[in-house]
Amino acid sequence: MPDFFINGQPVTAAKGQTVMQAAKAAGFFIPTFCWHPSLSVSGNCRICVVEVEGEGGGGSWMEIACNMPVTEGMRVLTDSEAVRARRRETLQFILLNHPVDCGICDKAGECTLQDYHYEMNGLPSVSTVPKVHATKYFELSSRIVLDNERCIVCSRCVRFTREISKSHALGIQNRGDASLVRPVESRDFESDPYSDNVIDICPVGALLSKQFLHKARVWYLKATQSVCPGCSRGCTVDLWHRKAEWKLNALDPRENTAIARVTPRENPDVNGPWICNKGRDLAKIFERPRAEQAMQKGKPVQLGDAIADARRLIRDAKRPAALVSSWGSNEELAAFKAALGDRVECIVKSDWQPQPGERLEDDLLIRADKNPNTRTAQDLFGGEARLVPADSDLVLVWGEGTSFVDLPRGAKVILLGSYLAPENGHAEVFIPVSIQTERAGHYTNFAGVVSRFEPIVRKKDGVAHAEQLFAQLAALTEALA
Amino acid sequence: MSGRKLLMSFPVTPTSHLLAEVRARGGYQTLQRVLTSMTPEQVTKEVTAAGILGHGGAAFPVGRKWSVIHLNDSQPHYLCANADEGEPGTFKDRWILENSPHQLVESMLIAAYALQVRNAFVYIRGEFDLPYRRLQGAVDEAYEAGLLGEKILGTDFSCDLVVYRGAGSYVCGEASALITSIEGKKGYPRNRPPRLTVRGLYQRPTVINNVETLSNIEIIVRMGAEEFRKVGVAKSPGTQLVSISGHVAKPGVYELEYGTPLAKFIYEDCGGVLGGKKLKCIIPGGISTKVLTDADIATVTYDHKAMEAVGSQVGSGGMVVIAEGTCMVRLLQVMLRFYHHESCGQCTPCREGMGWLHRIIDGIVAGRGRPEDIDAMVRISEANDGTTICGMGDAAGFATVGIIAKYRDEFEYYIANGRSKCGGRLEVDVAEQEAAHA
Amino acid sequence: MNTIVSMHHLLPEFEKMKRRYPAGFESSLTLPCLRRIQQERGYVAEEDIDLVVEYLGVPRIQVEEVLSFYTQYRRKPVGRWHLQACRNVSCSMRGAERMIDHLAKRLGIQPGQTTADGCFTLDHVECLGSCGTAPVVIVNETYHENMTVERLDALLGELK
Repeated sequence: MPDFFINGQPVTAAKGQTVMQAAKAAGFFIPTFCWHPSLSVSGNCRICVVEVEGEGGGGSWMEIACNMPVTEGMRVLTDSEAVRARRRETLQFILLNHPVDCGICDKAGECTLQDYHYEMNGLPSVSTVPKVHATKYFELSSRIVLDNERCIVCSRCVRFTREISKSHALGIQNRGDASLVRPVESRDFESDPYSDNVIDICPVGALLSKQFLHKARVWYLKATQSVCPGCSRGCTVDLWHRKAEWKLNALDPRENTAIARVTPRENPDVNGPWICNKGRDLAKIFERPRAEQAMQKGKPVQLGDAIADARRLIRDAKRPAALVSSWGSNEELAAFKAALGDRVECIVKSDWQPQPGERLEDDLLIRADKNPNTRTAQDLFGGEARLVPADSDLVLVWGEGTSFVDLPRGAKVILLGSYLAPENGHAEVFIPVSIQTERAGHYTNFAGVVSRFEPIVRKKDGVAHAEQLFAQLAALTEALA
Repeated sequence: MSGRKLLMSFPVTPTSHLLAEVRARGGYQTLQRVLTSMTPEQVTKEVTAAGILGHGGAAFPVGRKWSVIHLNDSQPHYLCANADEGEPGTFKDRWILENSPHQLVESMLIAAYALQVRNAFVYIRGEFDLPYRRLQGAVDEAYEAGLLGEKILGTDFSCDLVVYRGAGSYVCGEASALITSIEGKKGYPRNRPPRLTVRGLYQRPTVINNVETLSNIEIIVRMGAEEFRKVGVAKSPGTQLVSISGHVAKPGVYELEYGTPLAKFIYEDCGGVLGGKKLKCIIPGGISTKVLTDADIATVTYDHKAMEAVGSQVGSGGMVVIAEGTCMVRLLQVMLRFYHHESCGQCTPCREGMGWLHRIIDGIVAGRGRPEDIDAMVRISEANDGTTICGMGDAAGFATVGIIAKYRDEFEYYIANGRSKCGGRLEVDVAEQEAAHA
Repeated sequence: MNTIVSMHHLLPEFEKMKRRYPAGFESSLTLPCLRRIQQERGYVAEEDIDLVVEYLGVPRIQVEEVLSFYTQYRRKPVGRWHLQACRNVSCSMRGAERMIDHLAKRLGIQPGQTTADGCFTLDHVECLGSCGTAPVVIVNETYHENMTVERLDALLGELK
């Protein structure tokens, strides 16, 4: 356990740590472009240079911190005049050819280069030579666009595809200031399910999401924590949506509540700093056309009437069964168990199956079970795969993924669903229920880690929260409804 | 000729590089003695005692580099000869590859024995055609004769040698880029730590030495360290192959005993400046070394300490003679164009700085220079000094700062007048040159 | 355009090459295999990249990067005679610029171009390690040293 000094303060480092790692762990700031805690050391940007005081009266020396092993007693300065001067020079070099696109660049407001320039340099470029030009809009894939002029060739994206997603789909062509990040010509980057992580780790606005391109300035948005329901990994994510104070009446109301983008929410226990592309596309899941109208056999009815009707059906059923949603939150599943667990034959169902072309499972994040809360559902209701008993006279179907032809003939169906679907009109009673973006709750992932999600929007009035609904469905008398 | 010859010690004929003649001159007898009567430690001890410095440019003590290798550490060690020779003005390793390849092969076998290396490589620049054919020919002869491969000369020592051809990249002459190239990738230099002698080729302990350095190993072991140290001077034992070119009457490769007066070499052995012109300066050892004028040359001896004392270096042994009337602005332009072309592009100061320097000097040469340009070039050079992954950024900076320091007036003139003070000349006497080639 | 001839017939040579290297050095074979293919075909084709990737088990991106980084690899054919003239320090001091201008004029092309009849490609290159015999021009693989305008004319005459 070497003890050393940063800016005069004693710091304990773990064995084998670099100055960068030890400094970060102890809360000291050292700027970085190319270094990333989850990637190998590249040591090419040179912005993390620190000063090390010489021993025994010898002169001090400067070296990058990301590749510097900690040695006992070394005295490191992270903010001396020499370090500041060196950082200014490095930023001068980066700004030599970097286009000042901030006014039209999506990264503005969350750009490392912008932040460092503001904090450490703040001077205009001293260059009098024309900037080197390169491709400004290169389709790295159908999801990601690359601006080679903005790229500072830090190689984070390349190392990501080499070390994390292991698609080996990105590289750097040519050499010198003609260097260009390029995808492998066999187009493997298109099929890398983790490709979009390079957008997050790019320290500048070189790699941008096509779906988010020019949609919103990041300072108009806020990030709300959520959990991706795409599989049983349950990666924690941030859903970005327009801040309340920035809602514009001129906009289509959906723009004021829509998910602008999804980014990983760093989580050492589940997904680290990454998510897969399915998680980026959560808007595709959550913003499908919603069911907002209760129905009886396809006829629109008041929500209260539908609930009352469903309650009667459950009370009168001789052999009721239920297909329990593996997308239910811990709270909803507990409420179901409490309200109906004793009276109804409960079978856990997989709302979502793997889609054709979707990666089934790997040893990074993606899991074969494409549902967020199978764990709690099975803990409460058992894990064996069972069919709905053939003699069931009532089936309560909660959530997606059930085709009525698979249910016993003659059984009445109460359907609790969130999205428009043909089945909704075929159920005896259809009750629309809220989705996870409209309430707070928790999922438990396959390994037992519990993660919280928060709402980003209020549910509509004609839609019920399932957690409250189950008690109402179980009440034996009208009075308890 | 100046002093004793250790490498260029035999008359070169169209067949003198072949194994039969090499053996007739005593080749591979040293290897025989080493394999049968010396331990690896004894070989390294001899090399260290000889005090030989690297001939690739950095002049690092060879014995000290070798001593980092732990013998019997249960992992493969590798040895690489650096035959990339891309430094402008340097072509002396080529002489060894073409005319004395077995000297290199035998020396590498002795070094491999000392360092417990089973697989050795020669990294030769891709452009070298005849040198490659001569070297590969020598390697093939050695395999044929049981001097390479399994159980060499009937001993337990086995060693394979692969001649690995580069493909056009100056930066692959840098040791860490060289081994990354041998790994089948782009020639990207690596940050240290770790040193290559700890984690090098495929993350194994690796020694990289220049061709000339290695070729001296057989000589040291044959003569013994004490005898070897009688050649040259105390701090620079032995000899240096010097390649001299440019505005010189007799360009070529010469072997200089360290300590030889430089003026004698240039004006007597090499015939002085082309066409009897006055000397402007020489670049002594690779284009990043500080230029020397007649005043410096008059008293300096050719060895490491003396060259450092006049502010320059022995460097790579690539000397370029520059006659009076040569435009130093245009000369620097050629150099910066070169550095820009060869930058690998990894690290910020070099990737951006080389292009920046090149574009500034192109502007000056095109008549669009501004007064601030000179200080800008100095600033860029200083910002590359000690800040980069490898020494190339530094080298470009040293070349720039050195030439500007001595010839600032030419730059100021060019900027003020939009044209060269010396007519933009790089050639000095066309008629004389044509005659020299006839 | 005719179909590409496969380079599979080079695989036995590659196997022989591989045996000189220690186990686990497959990646190292990338540069020599590409050089040998280019020697055979004149350049490296898409199909050749696939072949090398399959044979060596290296990521395709590695091969693509190598081809773009090193100046000697070509992904397009060049003229029958590839003239590469050095214009670095010593060669420039002994007339390289005049040589290159002369070649450009005689051939009617600029460096980087190929003559319309596909006979000559002209390029300039950096130091070739032949400074003592400057100026130097490489024709395909061979060094032509101590060049003068007359010698260039004679050379072009021979090559035509």
